Formats: sequence, C-alpha cells, structure tokens
Amino acid sequence: MSLADIPVIQGVASSLTGNAPILLREIAEHLRRLLDCGETAAIDLQALPLTPADRAWLRERLGNGEIRVALEAEGQSTLEETGCQGVWWVTHHNEKGAVVSEFIETAFVPELVKAHPDDVQSGLEHLELLISDLC
Amino acid sequence: MQGPLIDTLARYGVSRRSFLKYCATLASMMALPPSAGRAMAEAMAAAPAAAKRPSVIWLPFQECTGCTESITRSHSPSIEGMIFDMVSLDYQETLMAAAGHQAEEALHNAMKENEGKYLLIVDGSVPLGLDGAYSCIAGKSNLEALKEVAKGAAAIVAMGSCAAYGGIPKANPNPTGAVSVSDVIKDKPIINIPGCPPIPVVMTGVLAHFLTFGSLPEMDKLGRPKAFYGETIHDRCYRRPFYDQGKFAKTFDDEGARKGWCLFELGCKGPVTYNACATVKWNGGTSWPVESGHGCLGCSEPDFWDGGGFYKALSMPADPLKVVAGAVAVGAAAGVAVSFANRAKKSGAKGGHETTTLADLEK
Repeated sequence: MSLADIPVIQGVASSLTGNAPILLREIAEHLRRLLDCGETAAIDLQALPLTPADRAWLRERLGNGEIRVALEAEGQSTLEETGCQGVWWVTHHNEKGAVVSEFIETAFVPELVKAHPDDVQSGLEHLELLISDLC
Repeated sequence: MQGPLIDTLARYGVSRRSFLKYCATLASMMALPPSAGRAMAEAMAAAPAAAKRPSVIWLPFQECTGCTESITRSHSPSIEGMIFDMVSLDYQETLMAAAGHQAEEALHNAMKENEGKYLLIVDGSVPLGLDGAYSCIAGKSNLEALKEVAKGAAAIVAMGSCAAYGGIPKANPNPTGAVSVSDVIKDKPIINIPGCPPIPVVMTGVLAHFLTFGSLPEMDKLGRPKAFYGETIHDRCYRRPFYDQGKFAKTFDDEGARKGWCLFELGCKGPVTYNACATVKWNGGTSWPVESGHGCLGCSEPDFWDGGGFYKALSMPADPLKVVAGAVAVGAAAGVAVSFANRAKKSGAKGGHETTTLADLEK
C-alpha cells in the first residue's frame, strides 16, 4: 500500500488564512526604514501563523528578482532577492535538506553574504602562501 | 565578531557563516527577534576561552532515560556537539565508560576539584517514600545523593518533567512519594527544562547561556527559561488561524481533521502549554504532534498526566461531578441521562456506520 491509497486530503496547503497580506505592509515599512536610515530588518516566518498556502501566496506576490545566492554551510541556504529590490527571501536548510528557519530580510545586501574582514585576512594569507610557492 | 569560539570552530572546519546561520536558527527557535541571532553569535564568539572546561555532573534518578535519548539526538551535531565539547561531562551513567567504584570515584573527584563551580544536571524525580529506598545508586538513596552533590554546585538544571515537577512517578497516587528537585533543594539557583522529553535545543541554549554569561537565563514563574517557554504552543501553532475562524476537527477522521483544522475540541492542550514544539519541531525539524494530527498533551506543564484526559477539550470540566458539592445530585442525574444518551448514540453510530467521537468512548 502506498501513501496515495490513504484517503487523507492535505487541505492545509490550499487554505489561505488572510495573514499574508498584512505582512506586505510590514515589509513596505521595513523598506522605507532601509531607505531613510539604512536600517536592516528581518521577519521570522516560522514565528508567524502562516499555512504553506499563505507562504506560497506571499512568495508569488513578491516575485522573483535577479539575484539568487546559494550558501553551502551545514546544509544549503538560499538568499533570493524578490521582485521587490531590497527584499530577500532567506531559507536555511540542515544537512538533511529540511528547512530549519526562514526569514524575509530587508537589506541592500544580506549580512550573511558579506565576507568578514578576519576571513578576508585569512584569504589573503592563503593567497600569499600560494604566491610564495610559485618561486 | 571574533573570538576563541570562532577559532575553535574554524579548526573543526565550521565556517563563520555556518555559525551565523546556526545562531539565526537558534534565535528563531528560542522565539527571539531575528536581530537576537546576531547578538547571540557575537556574545558566544566573544566568550573567553576558559583555561579549564566547566565541569558538569549529571545525576539520573527516577527516570526512563528518555531525556538523555532526546539530548543525544540533537539535530545539528557538528555545532551543538561543539558546545557540548566546551564542558567536561564528568559523570553521566549512561554515557560514561567507567562503572562501579571507578564511576563513583569520578563523581567524587569532580565534586572535590570543582567545588562551588560545577553545573549539576538532574533527570528523574526524587522518591521520598520508605526513606528513599525506592531508588538508590551505590547504596545511597537519590535524596542523599542529590543533597550531597547539590551542596557544591554553582547551579542546578532540572532536565525533563520528572526532575522539574515530579513527572510520571508523581502521577496520582504517587506510590513512591516522588517530588521534584526544587522540592528538596532550596538554596541553589535551579532552572527547570520540562518536557517529556524536553527539546534538545533548549538544553543547548541553556548551556550556551551558562557558558557565555556564567549564569542561568531569565526564567518564568515555574523556573523555565523564558526564551523557550515564553509563549504557548497555541500562540505559535500553524493551525491557529483555524481556531480563530472557528474551524475545528470533531473526530480524528472527519473532514476537519483531513483539512488540518484546529484540534482544540479533540483535547489539544496547546492553549495552556508553554513550550517551543510549534517552532522547533521534533526529529530534526521533521514534524511535531499537532502537525502529525494529534493534539498537544501538555507534557511541559506540571501534573499533565492528572489533567483529566488527553482527549477532553480544555473547555470541558475535568471532573464535573466534583466541581460543586451542592450540584452532585443534579450532576449525577444529568450524568445518568448523558450516559443513556451516549449509549443510544453509540449503538446508533454502530447501526448507521457513523463516527463515534472519543468523548463518547470516555463516558
């Protein structure tokens, strides 16, 4: 017997609760603050009562932008700019591929994408080592 | 953001971005605002590298080892393992290689060398009946052992509902006279991490806080860390919108159940249960009770097993006949009527192949 034989309808996915449209206003407010004073913000999607359908609705409305960053660190993470520039859809997966956290970030570039000066320093040291090996 | 922790992580091949990602997720699980993730990463990374790792002594009393099972199956072994590597677990019967006299020696050495500084973790309740004879380790009752080890502890963590409130062993009629850690020890800081079992990441969060700040995190009136037990299951439940719309599953196999409606009427204790299951989930973020179609049992609340039935809605009185003494006669008469009505409904359901609800079965 396969799962399809069990007559359970996954109805949650298709039910809109009306909680998603409110979020659009909050994101707009965050974007205004980003423009006015450079303040970044994040909305924790797992902390809100949203059904999968609500998320899908929100994702569709925000649309797809031009940039998609994939981060390989303890499982994959994706940071996608939505159709609204400055609004990023951030999804963190664990090693098994399950979503562990999901955020909507408002920033020019998400913090996670930027390299830390200390890491750049070790990058430089590594590069110098490569160069010294050439001689 | 730099410090000894980042260096240690780098040595193990864990990048800064991995750590930031972990902290963002931990903050989300702890129901903290997203900005707290970065603050936590900075605080943890800046924690001074102790010359000696803090000593942890773990005592098991009247318990089922479910708490240890839960903790050793945390979902992100690489980073969480690292945090556990920052402590020296000097005594843990299930995990330690030593046994018998050697184990006892390890315990007493750890107590002597780290007097006043070690962290004591307790899982299981403490039986007081028959002078504590119901549960003994190395010829000592749990009561004696707890008092002895607690004396030199900096703080105590009561892991799981048994240590926090007495747990299953304390269930009516409590044959062993089980009590919680805080019923016995009154002069030490105690933090309760209830749950049956508790969520692994809560333990990591409390440990991380103790390592970072050298103290226990902020607690609620039941001694639980507010970060994880600050909101009810109901408040953070993905089925909450259905509760607000008045859409309830009435049985476990009706249309509402299939559509994933609210389980309140099937006895879900979410509205009165403070825990982080709705956000953290279980089994590596796979699912959690409500998502798999069963109401919350309320296992992180005191005396959840004596709450009057897992399948009784919260709006139903647990024991209606005892509520008001004067109403007993009326109640009894009504009870007979209800029981007749239910019997009729049960046979009716059988005849018509209707669904019988759990409430019918319990009467």
